[in-house]
Amino acid sequence: MKHVVLVGDMKVARKGDILVTHALGSCLGLMVYDPVIQVGGLLHAMLPLSKINPKKAEENPYMFVNTGVPELFKAIYAIGGEKSRLIVKAAGCGTPLGNNEMFRIGERNYTVLKKLLWKNNVLLKSEDVGGTASRTVHFDISSGQVIVSTSGMREL
Amino acid sequence: MPLDHIKIMQEVRSFPTMTGTATKLLSMIDDPNTDVAKIEEVLRLDPGLTANILKLTNSAYFGLPCTVGSVRQAIVLLGLKRLTQLILASCVNAIIDKPVPGYDLSPGELWRHSIAVSIAAEDLVRELRLPEMPEIFTAALLHDLGKIVLGGYVKDELQAIDDKTSEDVSFVQAERMVLGTDHAEIGAMILTSWSFPSEIVEAVRWHHMPDEYEKKTILIDVVHLANVLCLMIGIGVGREGLLYVPSPEVTRRLGLKTTHLEVVASRTLEWVNDFTERFGSN
Ligand SMILES: [Fe+2]
Ligand SMILES: [Fe+2]
Repeated sequence: MKHVVLVGDMKVARKGDILVTHALGSCLGLMVYDPVIQVGGLLHAMLPLSKINPKKAEENPYMFVNTGVPELFKAIYAIGGEKSRLIVKAAGCGTPLGNNEMFRIGERNYTVLKKLLWKNNVLLKSEDVGGTASRTVHFDISSGQVIVSTSGMREL
Repeated sequence: MPLDHIKIMQEVRSFPTMTGTATKLLSMIDDPNTDVAKIEEVLRLDPGLTANILKLTNSAYFGLPCTVGSVRQAIVLLGLKRLTQLILASCVNAIIDKPVPGYDLSPGELWRHSIAVSIAAEDLVRELRLPEMPEIFTAALLHDLGKIVLGGYVKDELQAIDDKTSEDVSFVQAERMVLGTDHAEIGAMILTSWSFPSEIVEAVRWHHMPDEYEKKTILIDVVHLANVLCLMIGIGVGREGLLYVPSPEVTRRLGLKTTHLEVVASRTLEWVNDFTERFGSN
């Protein structure tokens, strides 16, 4: 079954499912997959750090990278995923044109993600991040295949 | 493309006007002698519009302590300015709540984007402690109206427009290079023909290029920033993605910091979801 993950949300799914998320601008799309038991999860986080609005983060941890990423891993472990087997891919984190320092939310999302992963000894298998594209992600949980499309299509 | 340009202008001229009830109500509200009973009377004849207004009145964004069930109560709690905005939003919904070709917006996305920019703009005004601007909701709501007319032309010339865009050329500049006009200018033309106040018309016209207008207004600045922010968080972002330039000059002028943007973004999303979901549930 196809499940759509909205902005500020996360879903896990099993073999036979497809996780889709649309309109990744500055937001981070993070895909985690365990190929042995064929489960996966997708997070669509909007902002880097929850300290900007702790109350919101309590209601909805998926809005922020620093609270959403740990939740995604926890949810994968809860359905049997094993850390050593996980394949992690990232998409999104775009930035508008020009050099406006204040609008680098996408870059900050990416930096916070990298720090979190590094601290926990997790590597990114592949990524399609940055630039001005608005990305859509199709994550096939049967095969683990992640397809990122903008105006064209490209496999991660 | 002079031929395109002629056709675009014809389309602008034949663009729908607002419904009779809305026009009547908006002019009544502008008139200081109108009393609330008269407004209720007109609305009673348009139950669809009344239902929409009440739905929006009860959205989480306005944070009213109780559920509002009548127009009178809505006016008491929100005031006439808000009522005007909600009447307008209801009417604009009928015009923009459809797929937009060229920009590849799915049905409802332009509506969601428009509401999002209104809400984010008002929230930026509060967050930056700027003087209150009652027109900002409406200016933001209508900023991309021109996409409805221009979308089809953008679609036909997509390759040419795409080829023009680069690190230094935004999508709206490319529209102008290829089509001789852009969606911001078209929006301004439509609103002029609807006899909108000039400050709203100018905010729509310059929402992508505030630096090129000789007059600087906070209204334009805030709509400009709120628009880019909403695209970044994926609300109404089309196939052109983030090919727009948030002006450093505006950022400096308003003293905008990343934290302002992030706080506003964190609040805007849920308000917008609630606002647009209410409207969809008929
Ligand atoms: Fe625009
Ligand atoms: Fe816009």
